[in-house]
Amino acid sequence: MNTVRAELRKLLTLPSLRRTALLTWAATALLTYAYASAEAHGEPLGDDTALAPLGYTQAGFLVLGVLAATSEYQDGDQIRATLLAMPRRLPLQAAKALALAALTLPVAAATAATSTLPAGGVAWTPVATAYLTLTALLAAAVASAVRRALPAAIALLGLYFVAGPLLRAGSSASAAYLPDTAALDPSHGAAATIAWTLSALTLAALIFRRRDA
Amino acid sequence: MITIDHVSKTKSRTRILYDVTFEARPGRVTGFLGPNGAGKTSTLRILLGLDSPQSGTALICGRPYRKLDRPLTTVGALLDGSGAHRARTARAHLRWVAASNGLPDSRADEVLETVGLTGDARKRAGRFSLGMSRRLGLATALLGDPEVLVLDEPVNGLDPAGIRWMRGFLRDSAAQGRTVLLSSHLMGELAEIADDVVVIDKGRVVTHGSLADVTGGHRTLEDAFFALTATEAGGPW
Amino acid sequence: MVNLVRAELRKLLGLPTAWVGLVLGTLVAPVVVLLNAPYTRRAIAAGTLTDTSDLGLRDLGIGLIGPMVLGVIVVSSEYTSTGRDAPGARQLTTTLAAVPHRLRLLAAKTTALVLVVAAQATVTTAATLTLTQVLHGEHAPVPAPTRVAAAILYWTLTALLAYAITLITRNGIVPLTLLIINSSVVSVSYLLTKVTDLASYLPDIVGAQMFIRDTDFPVQVPPVTAGLVMTAWIVALLAVGAVLFQRRDA
Repeated sequence: MNTVRAELRKLLTLPSLRRTALLTWAATALLTYAYASAEAHGEPLGDDTALAPLGYTQAGFLVLGVLAATSEYQDGDQIRATLLAMPRRLPLQAAKALALAALTLPVAAATAATSTLPAGGVAWTPVATAYLTLTALLAAAVASAVRRALPAAIALLGLYFVAGPLLRAGSSASAAYLPDTAALDPSHGAAATIAWTLSALTLAALIFRRRDA
Repeated sequence: MITIDHVSKTKSRTRILYDVTFEARPGRVTGFLGPNGAGKTSTLRILLGLDSPQSGTALICGRPYRKLDRPLTTVGALLDGSGAHRARTARAHLRWVAASNGLPDSRADEVLETVGLTGDARKRAGRFSLGMSRRLGLATALLGDPEVLVLDEPVNGLDPAGIRWMRGFLRDSAAQGRTVLLSSHLMGELAEIADDVVVIDKGRVVTHGSLADVTGGHRTLEDAFFALTATEAGGPW
Repeated sequence: MVNLVRAELRKLLGLPTAWVGLVLGTLVAPVVVLLNAPYTRRAIAAGTLTDTSDLGLRDLGIGLIGPMVLGVIVVSSEYTSTGRDAPGARQLTTTLAAVPHRLRLLAAKTTALVLVVAAQATVTTAATLTLTQVLHGEHAPVPAPTRVAAAILYWTLTALLAYAITLITRNGIVPLTLLIINSSVVSVSYLLTKVTDLASYLPDIVGAQMFIRDTDFPVQVPPVTAGLVMTAWIVALLAVGAVLFQRRDA
């Protein structure tokens, strides 16, 4: 479809996305090394070292989603050019999500593998890849409603890294409902992540449809 | 052919357009004239499907913008700025727009040549001067070789050579049978190019008709304009 | 100079995102103390809290997202593009037209930030510690004034850390992401201390030893030294940021 092709081209020609993907992968490699090194010194940093680095570098995927979505609204009024070229809004939102997912998948796979393979957790790689991709989509949906990168980043990072852990510490039952549970407890968090992502995407699409450009 | 029919719009509880009605016909340049804040841009945004009116319809060739398939092949719009993200190169910008409407990539290079930006194709849009940004915006509007052109203050930011070029370009477009609608508040310019004129003030269409009709008994279009949109006691704003 | 500082204060307090950082940073820690009260009581009774003098002061950590946001936004707001006609233009152009002497501008910005953040730190520390006393007074001694001052210093230096990094990167997302990840329950810096002892000298780790007694970092640093090391980090980063700001195109 033309719309998906256009959205793919947009994402591929945004330098900040490439940089973010690279930094995220590099950070994951670094943390994986840190975990492995700690194990080698006999001071393991905790169980599940296959996925632990991803708990941190998932932030990179949040940022990826935020940057992709807010590029329409910041640094130039691109959203207008987009809506003039592709005025039907729901198909546009769908195409955006598809394009982002398509480009995030390989990055997520590489990042997930960097974390899981050295620790012998190959089996977790597909799930981790899916989780990281969904995280980017969720972030993009939220950011397209907020329309500015910094506030969207503050909200998402705040939820995942400040509010989330607090809620978890306070009530273990809430763990099942938070979007990032899958990062810590892969067998249980899948439903939550999928539900959050789908809801965010739907809500964002509806807001986008009705809003003035 | 552009048909605006009884369009009304409210924004943040303020009424900004009241029953705006006019036409822009093919083969003619229609000038959309009005003071700042009169509602020109608001009307054009509704015409282009960017905003929604509370009532009324704005149709291009009988259809609303959002219902057009591959709209850029029917309508080319130039609004303020270039619409390009500042980190993207001019060429990359044109190429994604071309892809969105199924247009060949070669069109990007062709329109860059038309507006004289071939040398700046690989420059990032954020480094463009005001004039260059407008030309990139125009290039984007021309990608689909549309039969309708909608331009908001097109000569804003252009140098004298650019203004002359634009004048010739718009007149030629109309002569080729295209529908050209442009908004402006440069009377002298408009008097040179327009065949028909629509005057809008405070959200209402004050008058519309051919250039001769609107100028009426006044010496120039400018005199007619000020007579029609006389402001209340106070300054020029 | 007073005028410059006043102008920078107005700029900062006119940003909605700054208020998010201000309000959030001030309220979060006391609210957490309140919500955690039952668990804390249980922990004290069970004897799992080894050093109760850390109570309250430890909880301040959660509010650090506030000064981080403030430190970032003071700079990043100058670099966001001002609009559609000229997406390459930024507020910085206007600012430098008004105040062309760049180092003076930076001094004014830094002063404005410090004033706001220190005030925020004082309020939230007072609230958090008072609440801790009210809720767990019988078990938790009132921290010495020097420790409270150290906590306020840590808070302020954190804002300056975010500020300095943003000066260098000219982009708010990078420092914000790094710092917020690092402030999560198990920070990256803490992880690194398990890998190499050198990590104990990272600004957030060493700074904590200014006022938290019960830490399990490999290298124990006395409070005054800790304060000096953290300050040295900030000064160094600020210097780099200042040089770059002075020399770069706007």
